[in-house]
Amino acid sequence: MVQDKSKHRAYLSLLLPAFLVYVLIILYPILMSLGLSFTKWRHFKMVGFVGLENYVAILTDPSFQKSMWNNVQIMLVSVLGQIPLGIMLAYLIFRQWVKHTKFFEMMIFLPITISSVVVALLWNRVFSPVGIYTSLIRTITDNPDYVVKIFENRTFAMVPILVVLLWQHTSLYMVIFLANLQRIPESVFEAATLDGAKEFTIIRSIVLPQLANVIFTCSVLAISGSLKSFDLVFAMTSGGPVDYTSVMALYLYKQTFTFNNYGYGSAVSIIIVLLSVGLITFVRYVYAKAQRKYE
Amino acid sequence: MRKSIALLLIVSLLSVSVVSAAGTKESSSSDGKIHLRSYMQIEPTNSQYAGHNAIMAGFAEKYPDIIIDTEYASGEAFHQKFQAMAASKQMPDIFTVYGGARTAYITEAGLALDIGKEYLTDDIKNQYSSATWGTQGTNGEYWMIPPSLAVCHVVYSNDQLLEKLGLSFPATYEEWLAQVSVIRSAGYYPVSMGNKDPWVVNSWLLSLLVDRLGGPDWFMKAARGEGASFTDTPFVRSLQIIKEMTEKGMFSPGVNQMSNTEADQEFYQGKSVYLIDAGWRTSAMDKDLPSDLKESISMHVFPALQGEVTTNTSTATVSEGFGISASIKGTAKADAAWKFIQYYNGQEGASIRAQYGEVPTYKLDLSQVKMSTMQAKFASFQSEHEMGYVFDAVMGGEGVSMLNEDIQAMMLGNGDPSEIAADYETFVSKNDFNRL
Repeated sequence: MVQDKSKHRAYLSLLLPAFLVYVLIILYPILMSLGLSFTKWRHFKMVGFVGLENYVAILTDPSFQKSMWNNVQIMLVSVLGQIPLGIMLAYLIFRQWVKHTKFFEMMIFLPITISSVVVALLWNRVFSPVGIYTSLIRTITDNPDYVVKIFENRTFAMVPILVVLLWQHTSLYMVIFLANLQRIPESVFEAATLDGAKEFTIIRSIVLPQLANVIFTCSVLAISGSLKSFDLVFAMTSGGPVDYTSVMALYLYKQTFTFNNYGYGSAVSIIIVLLSVGLITFVRYVYAKAQRKYE
Repeated sequence: MRKSIALLLIVSLLSVSVVSAAGTKESSSSDGKIHLRSYMQIEPTNSQYAGHNAIMAGFAEKYPDIIIDTEYASGEAFHQKFQAMAASKQMPDIFTVYGGARTAYITEAGLALDIGKEYLTDDIKNQYSSATWGTQGTNGEYWMIPPSLAVCHVVYSNDQLLEKLGLSFPATYEEWLAQVSVIRSAGYYPVSMGNKDPWVVNSWLLSLLVDRLGGPDWFMKAARGEGASFTDTPFVRSLQIIKEMTEKGMFSPGVNQMSNTEADQEFYQGKSVYLIDAGWRTSAMDKDLPSDLKESISMHVFPALQGEVTTNTSTATVSEGFGISASIKGTAKADAAWKFIQYYNGQEGASIRAQYGEVPTYKLDLSQVKMSTMQAKFASFQSEHEMGYVFDAVMGGEGVSMLNEDIQAMMLGNGDPSEIAADYETFVSKNDFNRL
């Protein structure tokens, strides 16, 4: 009994500092943010409690809806683009279907090592009205008014950003999948081949089940990363033109730090957290179902 | 068990307090000197601020008993940190503050000293140009003395190109529109303007148009909602002109994708005949352009408009200057801070800044100062044109941001001037501090 108590004391003494840090840095700001989200602020002074007014205003604001839709597009590209493409590239290299695999591995991994701000500036330099690509097309087509119109299109202005995100982040998933593929014993593939399994069967029955855990982890990373997208979009377009490429984090930033609407901004952050938790729970559910199927 | 947990809790909280306290630095006066903490929106490594650095050195030499410990920041980063300072009541003694709404988070929270009440006398005011003393606080407060005016509208022309095309600077807006086909058929763009950041069209063009068509009296009435509104003709017509300029091809392609720097480059490279920009661009022109190009650039204002109530005007705002923290009111520190502000803006500071190409608000005989090519042109531009207001320096930021996005959408073909004006009026009537 005495030993149990001293064990507990030792555990608690080890846990307490970390727990305190967690409370101070994570839990307290989230609860504070939740409280603030029901208030209206003006120049560092709380004007009063407004109940759910901030939430209603946010959800009915077309600019927020546009931002949320843009986040959904990023999420779709991340989950349905970056992850499958990452698996494909990793498998291609793992099976050594191309020569110089080390070279390709390095080249594919390169974009993720570059800062998002640098990537944004690079793409802007190429596609801006005075950029290299625009100047080249103007010369070739003899059309001095040519500009990359997709940047000005309300529906498709996100496409260039999505392409950059796909180009930049696929490599990270590729490396994760490649590392996990290398953990599958070579003999498993040899046995499957001897049994006459085709490549598609190997992928469906061996590779994907083996990678299921990693796919789930990557999906969680992709979803949470997509919902908090900020740096690349901010550096590339700042959400413009108009609000065509705005995302929720940019909307939150503008409301909080440009207009000083702290209550409103807090409500946006709570919505982002709820969306993130909701979507990750959904992925967990899908993953659990898929796991049961393979058991 | 409980005791040990309580002890751990106390120790942990104390450690946090000790760590926090370590970040606070008290200004020491044990050496008998007055120590001031300042926070300035300036980039001392940028050659544009060489004059500022010279003034700081000059002040330190003249007043060795006043030590100014300065922290510099620029752009959004400046404002973010400043807001955090204000929220935590860790205000510096001297700081950059705007006459308009940009630092309302400081001025409206009562954190800046009203130097108008504390220090400014008629004698001091008379030493500066009359445009210096435009409205700052809504109750007549003055937070700072602007060292120079921020002229927000200039139409720069490349006279070599104009001559080559057989054109001259247009006298009227209609004449300007008529030049578009001539310029375009010769393979040039008429006007460069970088509206990627959508405040540009507001600050540099809309302000001018609204001031010309409505005048200052109408604008102040509309801002306050006293018998005028933003659905009135001057505002709607101003938006229509911007739409018309876009539709008739006055701007170079991709005006809403182009940054300021890119638009400037387009003009400097001789691809466009005109550039709509701010007056402070002259510093960069002086630094970056070859002398023949500088010689061929002229500075004008928007040509005459039908029905305008003010003529031949540009727009300017007092922009920013140095303010004093309200928390040191009545102390020796405040007097030392005021000494610094007077030195910076007055005879001594103005003379130094003029040598580095700035046109100061302090009445200085500029003929005695050797000025660079573009700065000389800028000085004469300021003496030739009356200055109107800058729209977004008067109206609240949130509404202006919404308006800017609507104008950008309109320029991209997704908006109607009357609807934009109506939406803006609705927003202003419910939210803008001018109306509340």
